[in-house]
Amino acid sequence: MVKLIQFEYRKHFLKTSVLLAVIIFSVLNVIKINGIYDSSSLFSHNYFGPWESMYWEMYEDFSGKITDEKIEKLIVIYRPLAEQTADHTASTAMDNPDTYTGNLYTDAYFFSGCFVKPMEYFYMYRSYANGVASAAKENVAFFETLGNTYEYRKNAAIAELFQGRVVTDFTYTEMYQYYLQYDFSAFLALLICLYGLMNVFVAEKETEMDTLLLTTKSGGSKTVLAKLISSILFVCGICVWFWLVDFIAFSCIFGSLKAASAPLYALENFANTSINVSLGQYAVLSGIVKTAGVLVLGMAFLLISCFFKNTLLPFLSSLSVTIVLIYAHETFMSSGRILRKIINPFALIANRVLFRQIEFINLFGFPVPSYAAALLCAAIWNVLLITGIVIFVRKSTIRKNGGEKACRYLNMK
Amino acid sequence: MNITFNNISKQYKGKYALSNFTSELENGVYGLLGTNGAGKTTLINIFVGILKSDGGQILMNGSDVRNLGVDFLSHIGYLPQYPQFYKNFEVMEFLMYMCVLKDIPPASGRKRAEELLEIVNLSNAAKAKIGTLSGGMRQRVGIAQAMLNEPDILVLDEPTAGLDPQERIRFRNLITKFSENRIVLLATHIVSDIEFIANQVILLKDGQLIKQDTPAALINEMNGKVWSVSATDQTVDEKLRHLKISNMIREHDEIRMRVIDDKKPDISAVNVQGNLEDVFLYYFGEAKQW
Repeated sequence: MVKLIQFEYRKHFLKTSVLLAVIIFSVLNVIKINGIYDSSSLFSHNYFGPWESMYWEMYEDFSGKITDEKIEKLIVIYRPLAEQTADHTASTAMDNPDTYTGNLYTDAYFFSGCFVKPMEYFYMYRSYANGVASAAKENVAFFETLGNTYEYRKNAAIAELFQGRVVTDFTYTEMYQYYLQYDFSAFLALLICLYGLMNVFVAEKETEMDTLLLTTKSGGSKTVLAKLISSILFVCGICVWFWLVDFIAFSCIFGSLKAASAPLYALENFANTSINVSLGQYAVLSGIVKTAGVLVLGMAFLLISCFFKNTLLPFLSSLSVTIVLIYAHETFMSSGRILRKIINPFALIANRVLFRQIEFINLFGFPVPSYAAALLCAAIWNVLLITGIVIFVRKSTIRKNGGEKACRYLNMK
Repeated sequence: MNITFNNISKQYKGKYALSNFTSELENGVYGLLGTNGAGKTTLINIFVGILKSDGGQILMNGSDVRNLGVDFLSHIGYLPQYPQFYKNFEVMEFLMYMCVLKDIPPASGRKRAEELLEIVNLSNAAKAKIGTLSGGMRQRVGIAQAMLNEPDILVLDEPTAGLDPQERIRFRNLITKFSENRIVLLATHIVSDIEFIANQVILLKDGQLIKQDTPAALINEMNGKVWSVSATDQTVDEKLRHLKISNMIREHDEIRMRVIDDKKPDISAVNVQGNLEDVFLYYFGEAKQW
């Protein structure tokens, strides 16, 4: 079976065109990440100036455990700047020697964006989380009196989740902010998977090998299984490659791997996150969940291709399905229609929607977090799609040969 | 080795593609001859297990092949119609893949593949991509893959379609080489493919077996049925309308026609020796074909 899988992988995926697509798309991906840095990072030369070295100098003073001394020191620097720029009457000259950046306004902007606001958010998060936990505990008591078991359980889960949340350390999180918002690589990975997977079953029809395969001992269900396994390996391989490229490119371009051990809620976008993990752990988790989403779409591509004799039509059909799913995802991602959100495998690909806030699905009276429900849906999709593939591959080969039933000596023993 | 087809039938949408086909095969080359749509591929597909027959049974040495299950496949080597194989595979790589599909251990599979490439004169192309091979070379790869498991039965469906004359001859010789101690069932509508190599010819028409015999016997049956008739430009059209003509050749001012007919078709007709093409035309050809 291992040999069969190796040959299937070699047959469909170790092709010059696929490898070329991976290389070109990887380069494109890095260019895109660099573009994000250029257009959005506070360190970008396209911004007010090259602040990077100055930031890291200052970072030495403020990073690590948040203490009253550090906060006091930051206030001492920032308060005069805020006061001087509040009425917009300060000099706009860019060569002021008494400033850090050459200008009072950019000084204020630099300290505000890089240190004051993040420090404030980190510092205040403890009380915010305590507030949420307290409110949830009150709800627990309230719903208990009403006998509403579901709401009781839901609020108990929220209270437990927020209890004790605190950001203890000041750390550089900008890279993660952009990294966790980044979906372009997932789209590229999807396109490569689409291109690679189109051939898996269609190639057998195009080369007339489907007939020959059926007359060999391992050419029936074993080959279908080998195709499925090699396709899954291909999808996972492509995803892992692109997630690695993402992580390495973001780390190198933004020049930092810091904050990996900071909690996910250290990012303001994830203040209400449904999981208590570190940013580093979330990067891995997000990669796994994205891969699960791409896998569902990959299986859908395979199933669609089973109905066609050449690659063009299934390619276009699969692309259309992908676009419809992206549109549906964009439509429902911010809505309260959780079910419509989670049945769409694209929710797993752009999974921050599932993780940045707490949403539950009522499953037999038990509150299931939306990300768990989405993963469950993905598993169900995969089972249905794989079953469909197994059925339709067989049927289409038999139909092609003009029969309604196959003899298949393979299945007789 | 003995294969018996007992009343094999297959219908598509109420029309018989194969009707009560009964035949017995022993070691040797069998040419399955018929026009397009005669049921050759249907019979082969049923034989190799791609299709299920509506009725009848196939016996191998007296045992129903359905009871043999997967073991029956190890007795078969099959070359389908118009195989393209995988263009990005090298020849040897493809043969090794077929070994995996046929459950042949890698070491013995490689040895066997090397031997076969030697026999089909493709040793030098072992590393060549299949996509770069000519049609004839690809067919030779096809027969090599069919022979990998050293089958007792070699089934070839229209193996010479699209090949040039030189490749055709080369392929015919290969079939003869591989026919020792095994049944070779060769489906074709090209008479020359089997004329000189088949031990027996099976004539199939509209899904029914109309004749099974040695080529010599079939040709003998044509004695007194093949005629040489002369015609002029003025009379040729009239003759074309009424006679079953297998060949025409212009000789100076007259046209010499080879006519298939049970009785003397013309006062000037001269009886000539028949061949397998005449047999084909006798059973499958129609008058007024022009």
